[in-house]
Amino acid sequence: MAQQRKVWEADMDEDLQDVDLSLAIGPYAQSGNYDDAQSTIDEAALLVMQQQMVQQAAFAQIPDVVKRFIAHFHQAVLDNNLAEITVAYESGWNRLTEKYYAKTEWPEAEVIAPLVNDDQIFLILYRELYYRHVYSRLSPDIDDRFHSYENSCELFNYLLNSDGPVALELPEQWLWDIIDEFIYQFQSFCVWRSKVKSKTEEELSLLSEGSQVWSSYSVLNVLYSLIQKSKINEHLVALQEGKSAEEIAEIVGEYGTRPLYKLLGYFSVIGLLRVHSLLGDFTLALKVMESVELNQKAPFTRVTACHVTTYYYVGFCYIMLRRYPDAIRAFVSILNFILRMRQYHTRSYQYDQINKTADRMYALFAICNALSPTRVDDNISNIVKERYGEQFTKMSRGEEGIPAFEELFLYACPKFIAANPPPYDDAEALRAFFDEPPQEPAQRHLALFIAEVRAQAPVPTLRSFLKLYTSLDAAKLANFLDADEEEMVQQLMVMKQASRSVSRVENEKGLLEGQMISTSDLDFVINDNMVHIAESTVGRRYAGWFIRNTEHAQRVLDNLRNAPLPIAPKVAAPSQPADAAAKGPEATPAAPPARTGGKKVAWGSAQAA
Amino acid sequence: MASSASTWTSPPTRPPLIEELVSGVDRYNPSNVNILEDYLYHQIRSQEYDCLANLAILKLYQFNPELYNPDVVINILIKALTSAPFPDFSLCISLLDERPAALAAAANADEPDPLPQLQPVLARLHALLQQCCFPQFWALYRGDDVEALRDNYTVECVGFEDAVREVAVRAVKAAFTSIGRARLGSYLALDGPELDAYVAKLGWTSDASTGVITVPPNPDNQITSTVVQENIQLPRKSSLISCSS
Repeated sequence: MAQQRKVWEADMDEDLQDVDLSLAIGPYAQSGNYDDAQSTIDEAALLVMQQQMVQQAAFAQIPDVVKRFIAHFHQAVLDNNLAEITVAYESGWNRLTEKYYAKTEWPEAEVIAPLVNDDQIFLILYRELYYRHVYSRLSPDIDDRFHSYENSCELFNYLLNSDGPVALELPEQWLWDIIDEFIYQFQSFCVWRSKVKSKTEEELSLLSEGSQVWSSYSVLNVLYSLIQKSKINEHLVALQEGKSAEEIAEIVGEYGTRPLYKLLGYFSVIGLLRVHSLLGDFTLALKVMESVELNQKAPFTRVTACHVTTYYYVGFCYIMLRRYPDAIRAFVSILNFILRMRQYHTRSYQYDQINKTADRMYALFAICNALSPTRVDDNISNIVKERYGEQFTKMSRGEEGIPAFEELFLYACPKFIAANPPPYDDAEALRAFFDEPPQEPAQRHLALFIAEVRAQAPVPTLRSFLKLYTSLDAAKLANFLDADEEEMVQQLMVMKQASRSVSRVENEKGLLEGQMISTSDLDFVINDNMVHIAESTVGRRYAGWFIRNTEHAQRVLDNLRNAPLPIAPKVAAPSQPADAAAKGPEATPAAPPARTGGKKVAWGSAQAA
Repeated sequence: MASSASTWTSPPTRPPLIEELVSGVDRYNPSNVNILEDYLYHQIRSQEYDCLANLAILKLYQFNPELYNPDVVINILIKALTSAPFPDFSLCISLLDERPAALAAAANADEPDPLPQLQPVLARLHALLQQCCFPQFWALYRGDDVEALRDNYTVECVGFEDAVREVAVRAVKAAFTSIGRARLGSYLALDGPELDAYVAKLGWTSDASTGVITVPPNPDNQITSTVVQENIQLPRKSSLISCSS
């Protein structure tokens, strides 16, 4: 082994990307080393040796450039060199995956161990990447699922139960990915576990042991431990109270001051939001976010994926709490953010994932807007019309739109999980489970949501009638609707309730807080048998008009300045400056008289307002 | 309707011990389930309501199926029923993971689990309240289908019928400025002197000659047509103006 290490160490300094050269060096032949000794050793040793030989053969298969990459990566981690780790993590790993491991596993940690001096910590990190690759590119088997859990436990155990905080530093993005992946693997395991039908004997026997592997409690335990160790909630509260850096350092202690723990703590809060949402506990999901401020002005982290996840789950929970205005606000805010960030993210490896989540949020936004029609952000509603216009039209029509609600909800909802495994430990119960599988969690949540939608189904029709009147006899309205009067009055009460919602008011602490607000532009009241209707309308919007015309004036002025001095024909020349001059002053309030026609009226009232 | 969510997230009647459980990690400790269950029965007896504490019980049941107690679940659902139009009932059902029939039968061989039979009944009652079909609610509630629920559960829940009436009153208050006496009576399942007393207690006035009851003004039953005006101060546009000059 020693000689071999020298060979690649000599290559270490070469550029990681220098692939061709390394291929030329070729694999190492080493299987002959032990031939002579074989006859003299016992069987156990023989087994060990065979294993070693397999590993060495595997080691020999690893392309040199990968070996150099791993060694280099290891060194960067040893040095806590964040810049180098980031390069290796975000580009090196992905590039080599594309080139060598698009369809197969990376070399196992045991195989590459000699490259990193058997550094256990690095090997844990390496396995974290190894299993993540298996989950995303290949299909994990039961061993992968169990081992990835064990590896996560080892990692968290190292971070939480060493003597004092560990010195390790990792890039923000990686820390987020660790938590994100941990929860993803948990969710993936639960879904896989709930499918009884396709299990092999071996899988059934492993599952019947009923171990704590990927249990809800163990996952929550990790997240809560990270939160408590890092004192992240105390940290966030202190920040909101405007405490100084020294005071905060005092509060959060030796763990919380380190970026690694601080960020893992924060990401764990978001992780809890997600786990509780997956388990159907939407109230608790928002409650654990109590100390997080949803506000992009002061982001606690620059990890885009974290923002996107946060808003997606917060928005979804608000939908399940029937707080559509809050959900809409969450979606609009993050979707605009994604639109703005798009230019920086097109090449990021997470771009696809973010886009998929964004698309689901557009669908959820369409649902909210159908249930609680409000004036909303033009940018976002245009995109919604483009993508979900058809469904949106159906959803705005009440009862007949229910299939569209179902379609979008199932497409856009989180991948719900059942908290408990099927009864693998009881063959008889398992057979019953097999014959009559319970309703899937997603179907259960869908049914509850649709019940809510159905209760609200008469609203769009009523609304379209009420819009035509300022007052109307209840009997007459019932007649229009082809309903009896009592039924119609009940529907009106439903409509009233649907036009009110709890919503967070500016600066309120905690995502569950809120006040009752009116969400509709159409309001009504019943005076015995007369229905009186009032509508809120939007006045002319001056600001946008003002900006457009200012920009227009600016363009005209720029053109004028850049234009060559008029010398030639006497007929054409004077007309252009005159035209521009007429447009120029439009923007400045000082010169309204220059305006003509309809726009002048608008301008005049703007000054009055 | 309640104007603020804070009485829902932390009711003033919640004792400090429960607050600690609801807000801390101790909520996951199965050995605390008794404390929360006792608190539920306290709510049942004293007309209090604490949704988050009850959800904490269901959470413990979700994670520890062996703790499951159908009577507790039914009582939680009954309490959640009368918070309509708020979604408490659905939030509770969300946490009831499907129990495979075989498991439930095995666990309760001697005493059948009443929940599978009562949950659809409760869901029907809830749907009627959600759709403001109050007369239909009373008809169903007083009918034979609901006898088991009535005799074994709601009878123990102090003030259950009044809590349902409050749901109706909330809906009426928001939608009406005045309402026919007969109609209100059918919503509240009251008539004669009982209805008069109830109306008087609400502080609503009743006109005996016309049979019309006047609902006092509140934010929801006062409507005005408004024109929403943009209000942008000039300084916010100053950057635009300065770069144009």
